[in-house]
Amino acid sequence: MPSIPRVDLSLRRLWRTTAFRLTILYAAVFIAGVMALLALVYADAAGLLTAQMDQVIIGQARALSREPVDTLPARIDQAESADLRHVNYYGLFSENGIWITGNVRVLPAYLRIDGPPGVLRGPHFQPGARGLAKRLPWGEILVVGFDAKVLSGLRNIILQSLLVSGGLILVVGLSLGAAMSLGPLRRIQGVQDASQRIIDGDLTARLPVSSRGDEIDRLAGIANTMMAEVVRLLGEVLSVGNNVAHDLRTPLTRLRALLYRAEQSTGEGDPRQAMLEQALSETDSLLARFRALQRIAEIDRRERRAGFAEVELEPLLRDLAELYQPVAEDGGQALTLRIGPARPIQADRELLFEALSNLMANALKFTPEGGQVTLTLSDRPRGPRLEVADSGPGIAAEEREAVLQRFYRSRRDQGTPGSGLGLSIVAAVARLHEFELTLADAAPGLRVAMDCWPIAPKY
Amino acid sequence: MARILCIEDDETTAREIVSELTAAGFDVEWVADGREGLVKAVSEPYAAITLDRLLPNVDGLAIVSVVRQAGIDTPILMVSALGDVDERVKGLRAGGDDYLTKPFASEELSARLEVLLRRQRRAEARETMLTVGDLDMDLLTREVRRGGRELKLLPTEFRLLELLLRNSDQVLTRSMIFEAIWGYRFDPGTNLIDVHMGRLRRKLDPPGAQPLIHTVRGSGYALYPAR
Repeated sequence: MPSIPRVDLSLRRLWRTTAFRLTILYAAVFIAGVMALLALVYADAAGLLTAQMDQVIIGQARALSREPVDTLPARIDQAESADLRHVNYYGLFSENGIWITGNVRVLPAYLRIDGPPGVLRGPHFQPGARGLAKRLPWGEILVVGFDAKVLSGLRNIILQSLLVSGGLILVVGLSLGAAMSLGPLRRIQGVQDASQRIIDGDLTARLPVSSRGDEIDRLAGIANTMMAEVVRLLGEVLSVGNNVAHDLRTPLTRLRALLYRAEQSTGEGDPRQAMLEQALSETDSLLARFRALQRIAEIDRRERRAGFAEVELEPLLRDLAELYQPVAEDGGQALTLRIGPARPIQADRELLFEALSNLMANALKFTPEGGQVTLTLSDRPRGPRLEVADSGPGIAAEEREAVLQRFYRSRRDQGTPGSGLGLSIVAAVARLHEFELTLADAAPGLRVAMDCWPIAPKY
Repeated sequence: MARILCIEDDETTAREIVSELTAAGFDVEWVADGREGLVKAVSEPYAAITLDRLLPNVDGLAIVSVVRQAGIDTPILMVSALGDVDERVKGLRAGGDDYLTKPFASEELSARLEVLLRRQRRAEARETMLTVGDLDMDLLTREVRRGGRELKLLPTEFRLLELLLRNSDQVLTRSMIFEAIWGYRFDPGTNLIDVHMGRLRRKLDPPGAQPLIHTVRGSGYALYPAR
């Protein structure tokens, strides 16, 4: 029986849910939006602040440049000591750039003299500080700079809010996403549990439907309706099958009885006798086929593992070989028994014997005179393997699945008697035991193997 | 003439059983209702009873149990559409002597019934020697002789011949033989039993000798001396 793996609620699985991925996507877009907004605010504010700073610098430079040259250093020192916030920079340099006074000790060569204010770089300046260089009428160079510390402050504020808001969005988004996906995941788990019960044969199980009426509920509702329909149809098919079986049983028995009586009442040499005999044998094969069908249904219906007991395979195979040895001898075939040590298995002895007997009968039926039929018992890591191999024509690879179905008669069956149900009975027995049945090429011939251990789930 | 009680609610099946058993030389009385059948089974002497498993009013299983509790050991052949092994085991455990699944060949029914009747007659006698015509089987020494000549039989052949001898003059169907010798209830196909029978026959009836094993067309085998 196939089984559905249970949904695990780990983060890896969570990541694969639509709700979770959508939430993450929303969070990312939101963070990008916030970043763009803050960047815009920063750019605008920084532009405005820079323009204001430049005005301050230009104004100061202009005021200082009007000062007579002999009082200028004193004026600069005075301005410096009045600057309690340490936001102003001053520097007076000689014509060839040698420092005269001020807190700017080195002439920032990158500032164009008499040019517009620019950014002051270097270890002595705060980031965002601006300044200008101006040549005085006597040839000295005056440098005036300003750093209100607002730009770096602004940048810090923006970066901080970006970090805080981004982190907040991520944390809230992730937990919201997880919460949103866990709910549906749990519900899907419920759906899977119910589906597994149905696969296991509980046809009364239904998918859970909540009162929300969302997509999952609608899908579950559809599946439940389909399931109810399947159960109804199955019931109908079963009752039709049972009715057919019941309706056919009596007339078949009666027909057989009438033919038998008619055949018994014809005297020796009556030309009708041969016809009646043939009719009787046709009816017998009809009855045999009918019984085989009933048998398959009966095996399929059987309570799983009820009537199972420990079965030793070696005596079973010896019985089987003994039963078929005369048939092989009459058909001029060699029947070989290869028995290795094998552990006992849990099985229904009679059904297992019936299945092997069918395989044996098939093998002998299709092996030509002088051919070889081999019955093998071997021990595999997970349990014993039973194998019936013949040297007959074999079954084409594309037909091997189909021959296990009811009534399928392969090309090799043509012209041989049989119900076409032997292998179906074998398949039904294997199904009941959860044993795997494989048909392979024995080169030449057919090899049918029954692995006597439960099949591993395919999914 | 042996009296047989047939308890069967399906009229057509009942008619078939009655005509088959009448043709086989029995005096058959048919009852369709379970309760009436039970009353007759416990109050009148019958040689054997055929009993449907599913009946109106009183179920077949209940009838068997009550009849056996009343101390009546009339052979009972249960006939049922329920062919499941569990059902068969239930039927036999309740006290049924044999169990036949529908659809069945009518001669299978009479063959089984006659075997039951014979088993009943023979119940006390514990033979050590089985004899039919010039064939003797010593059950203690396990020797088989035909006309004084000893036959070498394999174990299965010996058991097969013992079954035929114990039921001589009696048709044994292939499924009865398969059941009795190998103990399995499934349909092994006609060929299997025929092959085993053929081997026994070659040892028992050499060319020129009067055959003891006879094929009964369409049904099975019977062992009886040449007449």
